[in-house]
Amino acid sequence: MSEIKPTDQAATNAGEEKDWAAAKAFFDSLKTKKPRPPKPQYAVTIAVSSRTLFNMVAERKIYEEEGVEKYVTYQQEHENQPLMPGVAFPLVKALMTVNSRLRQLYPDSEELFDIVLMTNNHAQVGVRLINSINHYDLTIERFCMTGGQSPIGYLKAYMTNLYLSKDGEKVTEAIKEGIAAATMFTSGDVENQLSDTQLKVAFDGDAVLFSDESEIIVKQCGLDMFFEHEQEFENIPLKQGPLKCFLEALGKLQRKFYAKNERMTCPIRTYLVTARSAASSGARVLKTLRSWGLEIDEALFLAGAPKGPLLQKIRPHIFFDDQMFHIEGAKELGTIAAHVPYGIGQKYHKGELIEQTVKDVKDKK
Amino acid sequence: MDSMVRNPDVKQRDAAQAVVVAVSSDAIFDPEVEQVHGATEPLRKGDAFSFMKAIQVVNERLLTMNSDETLLFDVILLSNDSEEKHSRIIASAKHYGLDIGRFCFCNKEDSIESLQSNKVKLFLSTDTKDVCKALQKGVPAALLFRQTDPHHQTEDQLKVVFSGDVIGSSEEMLHGLREQGFTETQLQGFKTAKGSVKEFAVLMGEMRRRFGLEGSPLCTGLMTVWSSRDVCASALKTLRGWGLLVDEAFCMAGAPRSPILNLVQPHILCLDGLYHMEGFTAMS
Repeated sequence: MSEIKPTDQAATNAGEEKDWAAAKAFFDSLKTKKPRPPKPQYAVTIAVSSRTLFNMVAERKIYEEEGVEKYVTYQQEHENQPLMPGVAFPLVKALMTVNSRLRQLYPDSEELFDIVLMTNNHAQVGVRLINSINHYDLTIERFCMTGGQSPIGYLKAYMTNLYLSKDGEKVTEAIKEGIAAATMFTSGDVENQLSDTQLKVAFDGDAVLFSDESEIIVKQCGLDMFFEHEQEFENIPLKQGPLKCFLEALGKLQRKFYAKNERMTCPIRTYLVTARSAASSGARVLKTLRSWGLEIDEALFLAGAPKGPLLQKIRPHIFFDDQMFHIEGAKELGTIAAHVPYGIGQKYHKGELIEQTVKDVKDKK
Repeated sequence: MDSMVRNPDVKQRDAAQAVVVAVSSDAIFDPEVEQVHGATEPLRKGDAFSFMKAIQVVNERLLTMNSDETLLFDVILLSNDSEEKHSRIIASAKHYGLDIGRFCFCNKEDSIESLQSNKVKLFLSTDTKDVCKALQKGVPAALLFRQTDPHHQTEDQLKVVFSGDVIGSSEEMLHGLREQGFTETQLQGFKTAKGSVKEFAVLMGEMRRRFGLEGSPLCTGLMTVWSSRDVCASALKTLRGWGLLVDEAFCMAGAPRSPILNLVQPHILCLDGLYHMEGFTAMS
């Protein structure tokens, strides 16, 4: 997975600089003094879909049962009624908290979270979305309403570091394009129990932070082979997975707090929640992270135990895993879980090869 | 003075009811570097070709729905070329089967007057300076966006994007811009542009409403470049008030606009304040 931000951060053309300067002038001239969005090439850009930001279950039903025209009309008629928060809402609030802390410590820095609303909704629905954003006073200034077109192309244009959507197909497409992405699901009302001073992000290891190379060995050769293999290859770093760059981006922001002696009160905390066991296959993971120069605050090796109860204690604002089995387990106990549709794990369910792949083979014949 | 030549191959529209669009010949046909005397082959295609094809698709769909439709695009080719090139231009238009109703030949200095006397609803050019000049004289004008990416070009749908920074800004906000370095001329230019954009937006709104939300041959969009989300929301509502319900909306808030424009690939980019920004180029 390649780095999405330009490596030469100073390389913007004159036109872009003019646009940026005009935006700066505009926001500086505002009486309400709301924070200006950061310069994209320095920011950590997180694109959220409308259905992850807000609860649009009822509206979605109208779209599916009555068609797009009725759906858009309904949204227009209810334009001044703010939508209820969605599954990514707590995450967005946590990102805003981190931004306030960063702005206090580094008032002139553009290294902040940049939240973009990325939706294939019709622009007329956009008015209700903007009204809702205003209602909750969210710092989302950038949006892209594609009026029915796939937003995937636009993700690259906005230099997106992470894309969150309810639509698994779009997420899969984004990952294929090299953009970190995950599918979110509706979970129980945990908002009140989540921290409002610290952003907590939990990651599965294989096929999320790391490639699925070891996952393949488990699925095809079994656990014993897997342990043997991992111990033999302990000192060979695993290859990158789709969310590695996002962890890296979080780490970069964490170090800004450490530099100001704020390690103990750092408003970002990262967790590794893996089915690997510390004794037999954990070393390779830790050594890989070290070889990448990445830190993770807490590494939790479950040795195959269910992830749900542990996540319930952690209460992350988001938990990334490639296997639906773990996502279901997390959701059942109220964790906000996001599925990363990558790697061999997509062909299996609870250890069994899904019928789907057999069907694919038949179709190809 | 100009000389108007009707195209016998194209059914003449009712100019009072139609959306009369004047397109500069340098955009439709590639302006040749060397003038070859006596050359007769058709001129090479210019930047406006996919626009011309897209307009034809819109007109055809409108006529299919209603054979008596009068709200159609009516294209005038505006040429400042020397007389010896006139017949070659007309022949080339015929060769490519372009839906050009009339050819208007005049000197460069008389172009603005020609546009005004022909009650053109929109003047299109790939040259920002020409667009600015026309707008300053009160002639509604827009940029014909150079579609450079062959993978994203569309010929089966006409895409019109309006810029909304000025449309959506309140008087107070525009005053605030003065303190930030925008000159009086620039600010006055914004006001003039807003007026001319309105007329064209009203027409596009009416035409867009002939089609449903999906499968429309006409797609409209809004983009704000430097303003906050509230200005974009305000622009959406202003356009709605003028009868135009745009399909797409992009609020950049200072993020680079070119990658988005290169993806959207509009044919027509209606600028309100953008062009007044020093150094603005259509192809950055």
